[in-house]
Amino acid sequence: MRLGSEPLLVAESLSYSYLERFAALEDVSLEVQRGERLALLGANGCGKSTLLKILAGLIFPDRGSYRAFGEEVSEPKLEDEQFSRGFRARVGFVFQNTDAQVFSPTVREEIAFGPLQLGLAPGEIEARTNDVVALLEIGDLIERAPYQLSAGQKKRVAIASVLVMNPELLLFDEPTAGLDPRSRHWLLELMSELGAAGKTIVFATHELEQLEWVADRCLVLSEAHRLLAEGTPNEILSDRELLLRANLIHEHTHQHGALLHSHPHERGHHATGTAG
Amino acid sequence: MAGGATTPAWLLESEAGAFPIGCSGRRRRGNALEKTLDGLAKIVRQAITSEETAARPGLLQSLDARAKLPGVVALLVAVGLVRHIPVLAGLYLFTLGLAAASRIGLWGFVKRVWLFIPVFTGVIVAPAMFSFVTPGEVVLPLGHWFGHEVGLTRQGLTSAGLIVCRVATSISLVVLLTLTTSWPGLLSALRALFVPRLLVLVLGMAYRYLFVLLDSISEMVVARRARTIAAGRNRHGARAAASFSGGALFGKAHALSEEIHQAMLARGFRGEARTLERVRLRAVDGTWLLACLVLAVLVVGGDRALGL
Ligand SMILES: Nc1ncnc2c1ncn2[C@@H]1O[C@H](COP(=O)(O)OP(=O)(O)OP(=O)(O)O)[C@@H](O)[C@H]1O
Ligand SMILES: [Mg+2]
Repeated sequence: MRLGSEPLLVAESLSYSYLERFAALEDVSLEVQRGERLALLGANGCGKSTLLKILAGLIFPDRGSYRAFGEEVSEPKLEDEQFSRGFRARVGFVFQNTDAQVFSPTVREEIAFGPLQLGLAPGEIEARTNDVVALLEIGDLIERAPYQLSAGQKKRVAIASVLVMNPELLLFDEPTAGLDPRSRHWLLELMSELGAAGKTIVFATHELEQLEWVADRCLVLSEAHRLLAEGTPNEILSDRELLLRANLIHEHTHQHGALLHSHPHERGHHATGTAG
Repeated sequence: MAGGATTPAWLLESEAGAFPIGCSGRRRRGNALEKTLDGLAKIVRQAITSEETAARPGLLQSLDARAKLPGVVALLVAVGLVRHIPVLAGLYLFTLGLAAASRIGLWGFVKRVWLFIPVFTGVIVAPAMFSFVTPGEVVLPLGHWFGHEVGLTRQGLTSAGLIVCRVATSISLVVLLTLTTSWPGLLSALRALFVPRLLVLVLGMAYRYLFVLLDSISEMVVARRARTIAAGRNRHGARAAASFSGGALFGKAHALSEEIHQAMLARGFRGEARTLERVRLRAVDGTWLLACLVLAVLVVGGDRALGL
């Protein structure tokens, strides 16, 4: 594998449309450095999930190129036995739709699925399973079936089943959606811990709070499925006009210091509202 | 999506007067189709979850499914070969004993089995009892037809009784197996019995996503009910709703299956299923299997010894 100074991920002018009719990405380019934590921001339907699936090598762009770990990623390349094993072992993807991701009859089998496909030794799989189960505090769910779990519990199982493979690059699609405040805080802490341990993390989110804590850099996608802006969380969050344009905030969102918050206003007070 | 549009004025006004809330005395039976769909979802859910009985401490529950399944299969084969009603009746009593030892309520167990019998056997068995299907010695004459005596024959009754006993015993065995085995256990047993892994994987996922779709059905029914204001009396409306729901469900299932496939690929799936091996079998499992085989041989041998 050629290394050197090339970024971990390099995507150039990616375009993608579903069924050749519904545009989802238009001419999006990005680079992700090793160990970086990158947040994808954008309103509903702007193409965050689509971009993450391309980065995960699950769908392939109509136009543009994508390189990861110094190698080009394409459909024929992934048919190669060794490349696909190496790539899948390095990339972990937590789906937005947890029901799609948690497909095994029991939680234990769900967690073991990835390591089994990669051909890890049974002893190793068991040891790793026990570790992630402890880390995600799902010990009492281990023999349960996924249909007996709540949405938040399923999310934890999904995250466990990805972490157990110990990927270098973690792709999270709205990981905190549907979690209670305590679990959300815990997950953000886990993400920053993983980042500190040298993992590269790319995640899609709608939550602007605590962004500077979990992300080093942000990309903003527009509703026209194009790259609208790029910068540090502080740069992005302080550009009120940009956030409004990307429909990430509404007019009544205020910033007190580093803390964004919003509250409803009575009708007819738009003019005064924006001043805050 | 964009926040620019203002809320329409009508949404902010109360319409309390438009739909009075007291009872008018006129009742509408819930849409039969809705009820059926929802009820069906509930029944299927109940029928396929045996976690509750499978978790009880009992004889069959303590066995590994990989031994339990072949044992039951051996007994089923024996049941299929036996030709004497008393032998079958003995085997049936044996299943009742197993049920009791596995802490399954006897009355519920018997009911569950015998409710199926008419459905499965009624059509086949009923005509077989009559002299024009099974000729022989008439024991219950029902009259004359073209000079022949018509009625229930001894041979007819015997073969009908044989079929009913056979079916009842077989169903009892299968119900025992499913009531005392968790679904993952059953899957691992199938795997151990050299059923192709990919097939077992697909079976497991079909079962898993049946629940997701059942949830979808229930949700769609609830959502539709929540939005129904005027009574949908006409058949046409109900049928349109059904095809709409069916279409939506199909779309959902399709989108879901695509994402599941992606989720499997993302974790290194390459078309060949690798799955967890369970812990080793214990002595009780071996004993059970052996006991079943011996019993099956004895029963068939004894049955043959009784003659045809
Ligand atoms: N399976 C599909 N078939 C057709 N169009 C699709 C499909 N999936 C997504 N799209 C379209 O592609 C566009 C981008 O979708 P995507 O799921 O990437 O958005 P997103 O940014 O993840 O949105 P959200 O924040 O709601 O998750 C949307 O306009 C959507 O309508
Ligand atoms: Mg999305």
